[in-house]
Amino acid sequence: MAPNPLANWEKIGNSFYRKLAVYDAIFEDDVELENYLVAGAPYGGAIALYRDETKPLRLRDGQGSRSTIDVYSCSGQRINRINWEQATIRGLGWSDKEELLIVSEDGTVRRYLGLDGEFTSFSLGNGAEEYGVRACQFWSSGLVALLSNNQLIVVSKYDEPRPRLLAPCPEGEVSSWALIPPAHTLSRSVEVLLAVDKTVFLIDSTEAEDKILQNGPFKHISVSPDGLSVALFTAEGKLWVVSNDFQSKTSEYDSKSRVPPSTVTWCGKEAVILAWEDEIHLVGLNGVASKYYYDGRVHVIPEFDGVRLVTNETCEFLHKVAGVTEEIFRLGSSSPASVLLDSVDQLEKKSPRADENIQRIRSSLPSAVDTCIKAAGHEYDGFWQKRLLKAASFGKSVLDLYNSDEFVEMTEKLRVLKSLRDYRIGLPLTYEQYLRLTPDGLIERLINRHEYLLAIRISEYLQIPADRVYVHWASQKVKVSTVDDEAVCKLIVQRLDGKPGISFEAIAQAAYNEGRSHLATQLLNHEPRGGKQVPLLLNMEEDELALDKAIDSGDDDLVNYVLLHLKSKLPLASFFRLINTRPMASALVETAARGEDTELLKDLFYQDDRPIDGANVLLAEALRESDRARQTEKLQLASRLLSDSKEPTVVLNQKLVTEASQLLKTQEALDKDLADNSEYLGLSLNETVYRLVRAGYGKRAQKIQSEFKMPEKTFWWLRLRALVAKRDWGELEEIAKVKKSPIGWESFYNEILGAGNTKLASGFVPKCTHLPPAERIEMWVKCGMIVKAGEEAQKAKDLNTLELLRTKASGPAATEIERMINQLKPKK
Amino acid sequence: MAPFSGSDADHFKDKARRDLLTLLESVRGKKNLVISQELAGPVGLFVKFSELQDYGVHRVFYLENANIDSSQRNVVFLVRGEKARHVRIVAEQIKRLQNNGNVEHEFSIFFSPRRTLVGNAVLEEAGITGDVNIAEFPLLFMPLEQDILSLELDDSFSDLYLHKDPGCIFHAAKALMSIQQRHGYFPRIVGKGDNARRLTDLLLRMRKELDAEESSGLADPSARGLLPSPNVENLIIIDRDVDFGTALLTQLTYEGLIDEYVGIKNNQADVDTSIVGPASAPQPQESSKTPQQHGPPKRKVQLDASDQLFNQLRDANFAIVGDILNKVARRLENEYEARHTAKTTGELREFVNRLPTYQVEHQSLRTHTNLAEEIMRLTRSETFRKTLEVQQNNAAGADSTYQHETIEELIARDVPLKTVLRLLCLESCMSGGLRPRDLENFKRQIVQAYGHQHLLTFWALEKMELLQPRSPATTMLLPTSGAQAGTKTNYGYLRKNLRLVIEEVSEKDPNDISYVYSGFAPLSVRLVQCVLQKSYMVSLIKGGTPAAALNNASTMSPGWLGFEDVVKSARGATFSIVQKGDDKAVRARQTLSGNSGTKTVYVFFLGGITFTEIAALRFIAAQEAPKRKIVICTTSIISGDRMMEAAIEKGSFGPANASK
Repeated sequence: MAPNPLANWEKIGNSFYRKLAVYDAIFEDDVELENYLVAGAPYGGAIALYRDETKPLRLRDGQGSRSTIDVYSCSGQRINRINWEQATIRGLGWSDKEELLIVSEDGTVRRYLGLDGEFTSFSLGNGAEEYGVRACQFWSSGLVALLSNNQLIVVSKYDEPRPRLLAPCPEGEVSSWALIPPAHTLSRSVEVLLAVDKTVFLIDSTEAEDKILQNGPFKHISVSPDGLSVALFTAEGKLWVVSNDFQSKTSEYDSKSRVPPSTVTWCGKEAVILAWEDEIHLVGLNGVASKYYYDGRVHVIPEFDGVRLVTNETCEFLHKVAGVTEEIFRLGSSSPASVLLDSVDQLEKKSPRADENIQRIRSSLPSAVDTCIKAAGHEYDGFWQKRLLKAASFGKSVLDLYNSDEFVEMTEKLRVLKSLRDYRIGLPLTYEQYLRLTPDGLIERLINRHEYLLAIRISEYLQIPADRVYVHWASQKVKVSTVDDEAVCKLIVQRLDGKPGISFEAIAQAAYNEGRSHLATQLLNHEPRGGKQVPLLLNMEEDELALDKAIDSGDDDLVNYVLLHLKSKLPLASFFRLINTRPMASALVETAARGEDTELLKDLFYQDDRPIDGANVLLAEALRESDRARQTEKLQLASRLLSDSKEPTVVLNQKLVTEASQLLKTQEALDKDLADNSEYLGLSLNETVYRLVRAGYGKRAQKIQSEFKMPEKTFWWLRLRALVAKRDWGELEEIAKVKKSPIGWESFYNEILGAGNTKLASGFVPKCTHLPPAERIEMWVKCGMIVKAGEEAQKAKDLNTLELLRTKASGPAATEIERMINQLKPKK
Repeated sequence: MAPFSGSDADHFKDKARRDLLTLLESVRGKKNLVISQELAGPVGLFVKFSELQDYGVHRVFYLENANIDSSQRNVVFLVRGEKARHVRIVAEQIKRLQNNGNVEHEFSIFFSPRRTLVGNAVLEEAGITGDVNIAEFPLLFMPLEQDILSLELDDSFSDLYLHKDPGCIFHAAKALMSIQQRHGYFPRIVGKGDNARRLTDLLLRMRKELDAEESSGLADPSARGLLPSPNVENLIIIDRDVDFGTALLTQLTYEGLIDEYVGIKNNQADVDTSIVGPASAPQPQESSKTPQQHGPPKRKVQLDASDQLFNQLRDANFAIVGDILNKVARRLENEYEARHTAKTTGELREFVNRLPTYQVEHQSLRTHTNLAEEIMRLTRSETFRKTLEVQQNNAAGADSTYQHETIEELIARDVPLKTVLRLLCLESCMSGGLRPRDLENFKRQIVQAYGHQHLLTFWALEKMELLQPRSPATTMLLPTSGAQAGTKTNYGYLRKNLRLVIEEVSEKDPNDISYVYSGFAPLSVRLVQCVLQKSYMVSLIKGGTPAAALNNASTMSPGWLGFEDVVKSARGATFSIVQKGDDKAVRARQTLSGNSGTKTVYVFFLGGITFTEIAALRFIAAQEAPKRKIVICTTSIISGDRMMEAAIEKGSFGPANASK
């Protein structure tokens, strides 16, 4: 017999609401719901029950004062019991990933990963400890805590929690508050509505804005799931729905109750739920309401598309009837989709009306099929799902062209949903919720409930990766199995063989956390990703192995990290021993130490017996040293380090280091004698000589030359350049009187010419006897002495050049050249 | 998988831009951006300052200047996560701002290219992990040109060869993986050098890890294990230390010479305004980012393909740059003069429409003429002539001891230390080390001439194996047999067997890559030719006419085949690895796509590439044009000077010279 699809429909204003009974007989009778605080995870997730401490406790044996938090599935199966011995609980909530969050009065937040009772914790700080947390509210990925001094603390992600304060709020009695999740605010970060005294403040990270209302105090505030409207419950028992800017009131409802409801929350985007102990008001647009009464305490768990109502006996879902469903099932509906559904009936009766129906809606048949498919998704009952799909199937068989993808997907989704809604699993997802949760999220939830088989089946069915399921399974196996390590490892490896993407590192981590480090090492060997193994190996104190694996991975960061870790942990000698045989490691240690820790370097080089390297470190230090005495000391130390060896390069280095300090000493003396302030100190030897010559201290320069055994050539070059720079032509002329120059005279010519003294330069041309005449001619020309050039050419009997010269010459020079040409011209 | 649309360069550029702007957007409101200097240049390649402003950046600070102030509540740091030192500076600056007190700051750190464990540890140590938002900015390859992808790691050379820090190999592997993820696996990886081998091992390993991470996605075959790419031919990896010699030579192409004398960084050169004139009006956005500098006023000249004239000049030998410039000048003149002959209004309109282009071209012509003149002046100097002479003798394999006198003279004449060291290193590389006595002699002279701190410089050069004493073993290795493989590149042998020296190459109308060094072919690029242009190489070695051989180059043997013996006498590992995919899938795809036309060859220079080598590779690319496309990848652009800078000790004794 087909159930009536209209059962439990309730008309509120223009729309219909439907209350579905999802599960029966949820809680044992001895769970007295009225004494519990209840928080439910979104998307049909788990429900956490915590005994309300403000309620009197009936003394029973055994239970005493030990408080616990019980986690149930929606169908009333207890998943876990968490013992609670910490401070009073001030906030109980869930994240989107079904992580239970418990905030205690002293500002400690515990985040339970999965449903197994593993947790991490962090503190809210910011004065939470002194003032105490008064209440907490949660959104999909964060929470806001209200302290007793009206300060608000936000945590916007749990992976790296960074509690921060919102703008300070005004003094006064906070009668109620609500948060607006980041997705719905202009600032893209969370904001809070705080009802203080008669008005409401909107608080974000920078300021508290007074919305200037007069009708407070508001006993409840609730923000709609789309963030567009706000529901306010006044002390007079009135419910107001206002726009989110508090500028316009869209509806008002008088509950006629002096007692404020225990819960005010939204049911979808358009209706508000008011819940007292055993009474629910569903208030739609324009203040039209419908009332439901219960035998016992009823708890309301909001979802984005409706609310779950939990009592001892039942778990119900109250939501707005979807448009497509309404279009088909509404009494007297004659929409194409509803006609299509009807034709299925006719078809079964083998009535020709089936065909007539189809002909009647022919033009809108595709959309009718679509509607039927969508409606099937919104239907909870198997009978009607089938019926609607059948109608769709019938409809599309008539169509020539129809893309069946949606139809196929819908059947798949419905199958998945059906398997989830089974009371043994207890995940009463609606179609919309499933879309938002995504298949990945769904698998996550199944894993949390240890429903591995179903998770794998669904993964395969939906063709999504199942590696997480396997890994979780194996980790769990490691935790609970009691057989020896080899057997467990073998079992796991066998089962997971050939499955792609398995992170053995995660399994090994689980094993290590259980204290089975041997098993962990064994499992790690199966991990293909080298880098992944390292942190765990470090934790396990497998230092050497960790270092090797890090080096294998080629990731310098990983190696550095391991080295950093080892350096602080091991005695220096063993640290050196460890890196000694690993070139990459020692190279990285050296590089890092060069910048920061030269002492370590010295130790390292000493240990390795590398005197040159050691001396170089000292040399580098000496360079950075501004204090002369210490600089000298460092240089001496370096020199001493090198003095032990007989190797020629070392000997040379030692000599040069000594020379360096010697030079510095000489320069100091020069500074004292010749300069007002330090002028010579720190120059190179060549520069010292150059400057001395330029400053006119030729004698001293010569002395230094011999003292430091500077090559003669070098000295000549330096003197030449310095004198030219000084424009000391006299001295240069003086030098020119010498017979021989070790650097030739051409260089003199060039440098002096470069300085612009052609006259002096020309004096050097005749001295360049070894040059070919052509070049000498060029040299004369550059000095502007054409005649001289001509003479040179004449000597070389180069007629062509003379001809060329003639074009350049002018005045008397020209005639002179002409004369030479004539002389040279072969006499006919 | 739609990897075939758009070039890699555009793809990476676009991605980097989007990534950065998204990150900036995630910080609400106005913010100050603190950026480390080595990232500022690269970031400038793909995003303009005005664009940053649109995304709320109020002012930009350099991390190194440590002058970030409290003018904005939001402060964003952009640094390399691999550099612990930089992270430490960031931590210091954050703490300083926090202690300053009057503004409650909101800090964000973007780590590029990744967040590191060491960086985490540093922040943890400083106690600020909880106070900052941390994000990653995965900046790997930066396209300098359509055919050049660079990691722009300035320190990669010193890291690799001096510090032996393999960080940039890992970085390179990650970057190459990003190419593989876009196109599929390189069907073959050919390489030369030990670091190249290491890079390849990492690539293979990462592929395995990626395969392991890929999950059982049955529905989407593209996500499930990549296949060898159908449109990539191979990846050729050349380790810089295979051929230090080439990079030490003075580059003789136009772009190379600009790099030698002015320095090109991130496609920009800072040129004295006395040479090229002050910046023209339409380029203010660049200058607003740079802080006021001291010294002579500089102007940033953008050097990339957007400048058509430069594009024409960049890879030409400098000897013919003058000619080209003259020709262009004449053409412009003629076209401009055409306005007088314009008769109809249509012609006039056309002329007016083209006016802006003329102006741009004219501007560029002026800039490059001035630049070329300046370079001409430098190349005419005596020291340049002498330097080049020593270099060419070394490259040609003449007895190097005859050059020593010249080098000594250069030292005494106080030419830049870099120049002298380059000559010595070149000799050491080309002839397997200096005689110990000579080396000692030079060491003494250089230390005396340039300061005793350069003992450290020598030590560094030796560690990099750039400047070494000739050991008895290496003397034996010198000419003839190529059998002794491994530790050193035997230029003597390779010069002959790969025809590195070609005297008669024409600079004007080149027929061989040796034109880039006026007669010396870069060994590194010859190696690439051994893989890509086998028949050309064969005929070149045998002495046939090279031009004819080009045409029948199609019958190819893969990898080093045919040249294994020759290649062995270059330093380091030699390898050629085929990356196989699932056979069935490969065949299926082959039938689907057919044998598509152009195949891409990626050439990766690990440790840096010079502009001349780029020019040589482009020369090859032009020859292979319809069949192949060559994309040049590198860790950074390098030059002989930069190699020396890696080694040269910058400190000096005494307070007088502290600032010098």
